[in-house]
Amino acid sequence: MSEVFEPRIVAFVCNWCTYLGADLAGTTRLEYPANVRIVRLPCSGRIDFNLLIKAFEIGADAVLVSGCHPGDCHYNTGNYHARRRWMLFRPLLEVLGFDMRRLHFAWISAAESRKFQQTVKQVVEETRQLGPYQYPAPPTDSYGAGREPHKNHFDAAAAQQRAREMLEAKEVDVVIGYGSSGPVFIRRPEDVDQITCEETGLNLAAYLGRKEVRAMGRAAILTKPMDAGALVVLERESQIESGAVKTIPIGEPGKGDFSDLDALLALPPAERMAWWAGEFARCTRCYACRQVCPMCYCERCIADKNRPVVIDTSPTPVGNFAWHVTRAFHLAGRCVGCGACNHACPVGIDLRLLNMAVHRAVAEQFDFNVGADPKAESPIGCWAPADHEEFIR
Amino acid sequence: MSEIISSDNLRKLAAEWIEQGVRVAAPQHAGGRVLYLPLKNSADLLLDAFIHPANSAKEFLFPKSETLYAYRVEGQDVKLVEAPGTETPQVLLGVRPCDAAAFPILDHIFNWDCADELYNRRRRNTTIVVLACSAHDANCFCTSVGLGPASERGADVLLVPLTNDTFEVRSVTEKGRSLFAGKTQTDNVAAMAAAGPEPRFAPDAVRKFSAANFEHPIWGEHALACVGCGACAHTCPTCHCFDIVDEHGERVRNWDSCQFSLFTLHASGHNPRPDQGSRQRQRILHKFSIYPDKFGEILCTGCGNCTRNCPAGLGVLPLLIAIEHEEHLPA
Repeated sequence: MSEVFEPRIVAFVCNWCTYLGADLAGTTRLEYPANVRIVRLPCSGRIDFNLLIKAFEIGADAVLVSGCHPGDCHYNTGNYHARRRWMLFRPLLEVLGFDMRRLHFAWISAAESRKFQQTVKQVVEETRQLGPYQYPAPPTDSYGAGREPHKNHFDAAAAQQRAREMLEAKEVDVVIGYGSSGPVFIRRPEDVDQITCEETGLNLAAYLGRKEVRAMGRAAILTKPMDAGALVVLERESQIESGAVKTIPIGEPGKGDFSDLDALLALPPAERMAWWAGEFARCTRCYACRQVCPMCYCERCIADKNRPVVIDTSPTPVGNFAWHVTRAFHLAGRCVGCGACNHACPVGIDLRLLNMAVHRAVAEQFDFNVGADPKAESPIGCWAPADHEEFIR
Repeated sequence: MSEIISSDNLRKLAAEWIEQGVRVAAPQHAGGRVLYLPLKNSADLLLDAFIHPANSAKEFLFPKSETLYAYRVEGQDVKLVEAPGTETPQVLLGVRPCDAAAFPILDHIFNWDCADELYNRRRRNTTIVVLACSAHDANCFCTSVGLGPASERGADVLLVPLTNDTFEVRSVTEKGRSLFAGKTQTDNVAAMAAAGPEPRFAPDAVRKFSAANFEHPIWGEHALACVGCGACAHTCPTCHCFDIVDEHGERVRNWDSCQFSLFTLHASGHNPRPDQGSRQRQRILHKFSIYPDKFGEILCTGCGNCTRNCPAGLGVLPLLIAIEHEEHLPA
């Protein structure tokens, strides 16, 4: 094969600035490489990250995302929202080891035909140097180390006592606790000894949205140190009323530990990507990670939508990559770090690392504590003029 | 007289097979647990100190995702491209008896109303070397469904641990005999199979109860803690439901699970199994009533993987025990 590699670039651009900039480049006879396929959307705020993933899936070697300069948005703030999302999306791609040289962001106005021409030229040339984009094959000599299942056990006596008090005082109608074979739903004070605090990997807040559980009335749940944050997020997102769910804390709070994440980030990106490919190769798409997550309360998950198919349902390298990116990014600024997904994964994929990367980006960039104040605005639902944009051309 | 092989020689044999281009799948450490995976290095082969891998061996005959055929639009026509399939010989080494017993069941499924060529081709090229169990855990219940720690069902060869590092080789089929021909020594010792778990329930009682109690509250009560994932079905040796999708120009068959709400969702939005209770009931009914009525055997080999892998710690066994209890209550 002596064919010359011609990179395929997909440019997602906004209707009001960059698309007009590209149009102007054409009418003013500014030549730029034909490698770019332009997809026009109403606003950079509408450029969903799934579109970027999809573009790479179906053969793009690089992707350019471009919208109006700050302050110029036709819809006032769409580009600010987009910028905020990219600020969190990039750290996620980084921990996955995605080659960030293939994803370009720019602000190009309707008058900047020359900037459009120059940007496309640069992106094409840089991509030509990188060669075609390929999903990495899993490492051939070893299997992913994953993470060992670990079981927490807590002292059940105090929790039983508190549950009995709450039920006797009719403060709540049901206490959701950990039993000897799965969660138990205690409705009578005399049944509290069914709470054994064994098998405590789940976050019991995941049951609060269930129709059958709602029908039981006011609920109290046993919460491990990181679990109660989920109630804060559910309240912030109007899923539960303030103070409607009581908690019975078990266990002492520990300290957040990012050492595993740092060890992974110390690897070169290509090795990181290959490592994840090995992990994702074991995924069968049983969706246990999603089903146990208190934050995954959507009635119909995007992964289950088939008209059109947003995320491949096949447990292939491409489909699994898209699914796990989506799961992690939909939890940006929402994951409370309870670790239920890790506990649930039957093949031991260390999913927590993806959530931690985004979690740390949220904490560092926006000084935001996910599980603290239900009235605080979600970092992914707002923006600030000072948001950094050194990664945008 | 019996045939024996040392674990060292077994590893050497596995290495030879790999060298010859045979695809060897075996239990090994990965993902912080034991999993059946293609063996790359015979030193990784696990022959003891595990109860049951977290996955099942079915994926080497019925992969989690498989292309049935590809399609291309050419002008006004659609051109179909057959999936190449594979004739690569395969040895499943160190498979537990409860996994092997599932293969005859899968054979029925994939040859019932039409013969599944992709499955059959793989099946023809596969030899199953079973490793008898020397221990069991609280989730095991093979003896309740008519199997045991040294069951030969579905096996071509059965390896029974003799000492710490030798195994008695019992050839069950001609295929198995030829695989180990000339590779074993003869000895006059015979291995004793370990004791299995105490039987926990009677399948017949479950069958009678589930067929007669479609609307019983036990289904909903047990399913209250079920989160509705597919961990049980995907790690079950006998669960075989699949979904067919078109992706990237290929028609692909993927594992599905009756525990997903999407499994029975109609295009109209109506869902005949609207809650987790009805989905759990379906799983039990299928395994202990519907399938036996059709094929005369239970769709469960007692491996316990559904309980082991359930994020909520549920699984089939506690429900079956509860059902038997209900069945024996005075009316």
